[in-house]
This record gives sequence, structure tokens and C-alpha cells, in this order.
Amino acid sequence: MIKKYKPQITLFHCINAFDNCASLPVSTGGAFELKPVKMACSSMVKDVFLLRAFEAGADAVAVFVCPEGQCRYVEGNIRAKKRVNFVKNLLDEIGLSGRRLSLHNVECGDTENAVRILQQVLSDINDMGPSPAK
Amino acid sequence: MIVGKQKSIAEIREIVLPYKKLLVLGCGTCVKTCFAGGEDEVATLSSALRLSFKKDGRSIYIEELTVERQCEDEFIREAAVAISKNTAVLSLACGAGVQAIARRFANVPVLPGVNTTFIGVLEKQGLFTEECLGCGDCQLAVFGGVCPVSRCAKKLQNGPCGGSRNGKCEINPDTDCAWQQIITRLTALGQLDNLRKYNPPKDWRTSHAGGPRKLVREDHVI
Repeated sequence: MIKKYKPQITLFHCINAFDNCASLPVSTGGAFELKPVKMACSSMVKDVFLLRAFEAGADAVAVFVCPEGQCRYVEGNIRAKKRVNFVKNLLDEIGLSGRRLSLHNVECGDTENAVRILQQVLSDINDMGPSPAK
Repeated sequence: MIVGKQKSIAEIREIVLPYKKLLVLGCGTCVKTCFAGGEDEVATLSSALRLSFKKDGRSIYIEELTVERQCEDEFIREAAVAISKNTAVLSLACGAGVQAIARRFANVPVLPGVNTTFIGVLEKQGLFTEECLGCGDCQLAVFGGVCPVSRCAKKLQNGPCGGSRNGKCEINPDTDCAWQQIITRLTALGQLDNLRKYNPPKDWRTSHAGGPRKLVREDHVI
């Protein structure tokens, strides 16, 4: 039996920006599979973690960080942004498309916005198709 | 320290294409500090290569290892087992490290993953500047600790050229004029008189112009 394709999104999120994965429409809609990775600060996201998420089968990777100027550790979200941009360039170079990786500033407790972002990520995957490195 | 920059994924891919089992070997000293070939860069590059090959339907086995220094036998030995298990080594060390590995393992292709760039310092996080050319005849005592050989575009030995403008070099407005810095520094040290003495043209025989150099310390040779 051919397994039905279900897009996989890996979500790296700073717990200060967003810590309510249970509220996300994963189990209800079932339109995609979500793999959340909790971090004490978005600065903990390293280049290799983002790439390994793709190696593990992600079609897209999203990183939720605090709004600029609101990082508890001052510059964690800026560091995360720089790393994400570096890996986006790597993905373009590899031919996987940097569009599969995105960073979003999320206000603490703004679940509505988080859901909206994930829906946008899902819609982008539907445009691009499954990751060619799956 | 030696400053280097990792080659592009496209170039590295091309170099490693013929090999099915690859050891990506990092170096934990200079190139680690300049984010070109330490443990993190080994992991990132290996992952990127695996994804790149998988995308094209090719398979490659990649082993990852970082040793403290690839330019010393003592540390190279730690990589011997891993090297013997693979068909090629992609070294993320400087050119000296790549050659030291190649010299010890005659039957294994050792490939460079980094472009060795210069001898420099970490000026601030993420910014590295060239400070030494390895000329073999250091005159920093005369120039107040600022090297005109590596930091003056024209390598002038007896004062600035006419292209020095507001402390910047005519070749690039981002580059400080080394001679402006020499004069400022010697003034602060009260040693401006150093510059009254004529500095003869540099004898480049002690530099690489005299061919590959060798240093023998007889007191350490057994």
C-alpha cells in the first residue's frame, strides 16, 4: 500500500515566544505532521539542528522567536535570525530552496498568530511540494 | 592564528563526488576559531552534503571527526582508525593540516574543504583581519607594533604614500592606513624618533620568496 504523503513541519520554538503546542491544529485537522522542538532561547538553534531536521524528513522548518528587542537574553533572537539566514543560503546552494526554512517573531501567548504562520508554512509547502531530500 | 574560509558547497561536492565513503575531518584550533573547520562546521557541512547528494538520488556515507590539530602527528594519530575506514578524507584544516594528513596516509586521497586565507587576529566576533605575512624578519619594534609589511598595501618601509586620506588607505576606504597607525602609536609611545632612521629595502629572502622555509631547533632534535 502506498503511504499517503503528509507534509512534515519541524517547529523550533523559544518557550518565551511560544509554548502552547497543544493548542495547534495538528491532531484536529490532520493536514500535516508537526514536530515541535522546545528551546530555552532561540539562540540555541544551531545550523546543524536545522539541517538535521531536513535530514529527518521535514518538508519545512519554522523557527519561532521573540519579537526583536524582547529577547530575555538580549540578542538570542538576533543570533537565531542570522543562523536561519545562513542556513537558508545553504539550502538554496544545495537546491532544496531556502523558502523551506523560515523565522517568525511571535508575541508570547499569541496562539492565533502562531496558527496563522503554520498555515502559511503549510501553504508554501503545498506550492513547493515535498522535500526532494526526503 | 591561521584564518580560513570554507569552500562553497558546489566546489566541495565536485571534489568529493568520486568517493562513496568520506571522512570529514575538522581541526579544533585556528579554523575552529574562524568558523571554517571546527566541530560545528564539520557537522553542518556533513549534513549539507548528505542532503545535497540525497536530493540528487546519490548515496554517500559520511563520517565526522574533529581532532585538536591536524598539523601535529600526536593529534593526527587519533584520526588513523577513522581514516582507514573511509575512501577519502575531506580536511577542513588549513593547507598545512591537509598536507600533514596527506603525508602520513600515502594511499588515501586528502581533499581540501577550506581556503586558507591569512595569518590574522579576531578583531571582534565575526571579524578577522590580516596582521602578519610571515616575512621571517620581524621589525615590529621599530614600527610601534603595527606591521607595514602586512598592513600597508604598498609595504612601504619609510613613511606613508600620498594615498593616505583621513587615516584611510586609497585602495579601500574601509582599510586603515597602516602608516597613520604607526605614527599615532609611536607618538603615544614617545618613540617617533624611530622613524628618523632609514629602513633599507626589505630583504625578502627570509620570506616565502626564498622558497619553502624550514626551521630546525637542534636543541629539540634527537
